[in-house]
Amino acid sequence: MIRTEALTKRFPAAGRKGVENLAVEGLKLEVKKGEVFGFLGPNGAGKTTTVRMLCALIAPTEGSAWVAGYKVGPDNDAIRANVGILTETPGLYARLDAVANLSFFAKLYGVSDVSGQVAKYLKMLGLWERRNELVGSFSKGMQQKLAIARALLHEPPLLFLDEPTAGLDPESARVVRDYIEELCGEGRTFFLCTHNLNEADRLCDRIGVIKQRLIRVDTPQGLRTSLYGHEVSIRLRAVAPEHVAAVQALPFVQEVRSGDGRLSVKLDDPETNNPRVVRALVSTGADIQFVEEVEHSLESVYLDLMAQTREAAAA
Amino acid sequence: MNVNAASPRSRNGASPFSWHRVWAVIEKEWAESRRNKMILWTMALVPLFLVAMVLGTDYFMIRAEAKGQDMDEDEMPIPEQLQHLPRFEAFIIQMNEQYMFYMFIIPMMLPVYIAAYSIIGEKQTKTLEPLLATPISTWELLAAKTIAATSPAVVLTWISYAVMLVGLRFVVSPTVFFYSARAVWILAMLLLSPLLAFLSVLSGVIVSSRINDPRTAQQITGVFIVPIISVSLVVLAGKVFVSVQMVIYAAMVVLIVDLVALYFAVKVFQRETILTRWK
Repeated sequence: MIRTEALTKRFPAAGRKGVENLAVEGLKLEVKKGEVFGFLGPNGAGKTTTVRMLCALIAPTEGSAWVAGYKVGPDNDAIRANVGILTETPGLYARLDAVANLSFFAKLYGVSDVSGQVAKYLKMLGLWERRNELVGSFSKGMQQKLAIARALLHEPPLLFLDEPTAGLDPESARVVRDYIEELCGEGRTFFLCTHNLNEADRLCDRIGVIKQRLIRVDTPQGLRTSLYGHEVSIRLRAVAPEHVAAVQALPFVQEVRSGDGRLSVKLDDPETNNPRVVRALVSTGADIQFVEEVEHSLESVYLDLMAQTREAAAA
Repeated sequence: MNVNAASPRSRNGASPFSWHRVWAVIEKEWAESRRNKMILWTMALVPLFLVAMVLGTDYFMIRAEAKGQDMDEDEMPIPEQLQHLPRFEAFIIQMNEQYMFYMFIIPMMLPVYIAAYSIIGEKQTKTLEPLLATPISTWELLAAKTIAATSPAVVLTWISYAVMLVGLRFVVSPTVFFYSARAVWILAMLLLSPLLAFLSVLSGVIVSSRINDPRTAQQITGVFIVPIISVSLVVLAGKVFVSVQMVIYAAMVVLIVDLVALYFAVKVFQRETILTRWK
């Protein structure tokens, strides 16, 4: 659905002739049909610039990109007709009511049944009762939902969501997130830029981490594993040195730490090897209370990746 | 996909210039303008003030003359085209010839008011990005914004001129009325009003790329009004009596200025420029 080859964007630096600021460099990416792809990165990492290039709003300085089967550049009009975008701010016309806002965009997208499609999404988002009220009187959450409806009016196969829950109170953010989750189950392809790592973890099939360059792309679990490996936490009635020694002796175990009545074991292939660890502990007389997989938060994955990038840049 | 078959698509799925999209933007612009009290008041008051000024001045001058007050008409230089008329009638015609130029303040002032709100307003409310993300082309958007801003002003100019003529019919003598309703002014209203309105909007577009406050953009109308007032003073001084030939020459000059302004407006009104450089 999306393919980029060495996609690069530089902007002229304001007030300095001949100087350019690098926004995105050499982006190579592939997003499959029906996938929910998360795009993570700090402020100024190039997320919005990438979305704008892929939505044919700005031209890449170098490289190529194909979106929904069309090439960025020669097929820009076709790309804009076939993608939906939720921009960083809702960007709705405050002096117009909800129906007028959606009808306007439906006409621009060439939707054949404007009123039917507008009614469908207003009802779906619970805004039908307030359809004739000026959008300026809507809460931030309602405006965001209306902006999502606007992006969906022409039923695009690919949807770009740029910070969909940014600036919303927790309740509105949850409503918007739940709605996006519902949409994700409909088979559309999503490209989701977010700072909210729980949101990315919950919604995305794969995640790309960017800071001008693409740092890593993987599934959320894949990112955790690549950074921390597999780790199992075993709670015992009492930890004895022979328990630690028995586990350390196993060939597939990389590291064992003990403390607080627990053994933390880093190992390969936990599905196959966990029973062996348990058998080894039982054979030394350990009383096992719980065995559970240690799951690192996506936040720690992200922060560690950023720290690694900073260190690499400094080196 | 729910995309309109009536909107013809080319080989790569893109639509050519679509009047459906242009009309959608125009409808939206007008709906927003109707809810903007500043625009509505400006649109109502400027023509009203100008028409009232012409009719009021003529009415009080004629009344004062009838009462025997000296209007200093002998001191006003009268062009040779009006020399055959009674001095006071020629004087009133001369005054009205000057006022006719003031009617062009409407197509110069109102479009830039609407355009400033329409473009800078979109910048301020951050509605430009979702709009530019639709299949609308830059030309369609520019055409829609221009038509939406110029057409109400041009129609208001024509209505104001018509109302002024109807008023003059009751206030002045048939001879004086004839001079205000003669072909040269009808031609000027038909030809110059749209051209001046177009120039006003294009200037609004160019200025909007650098300015974030609609009121500042509107202040450029002051610059436009200066040449109009200057020409009107030349007419009042009896140096020039407006002819069809002069109107055609003036229209050609404004057309050339329009084309130059269009070149710059199109240059600044590009998606990437708007999104990344309009701050």
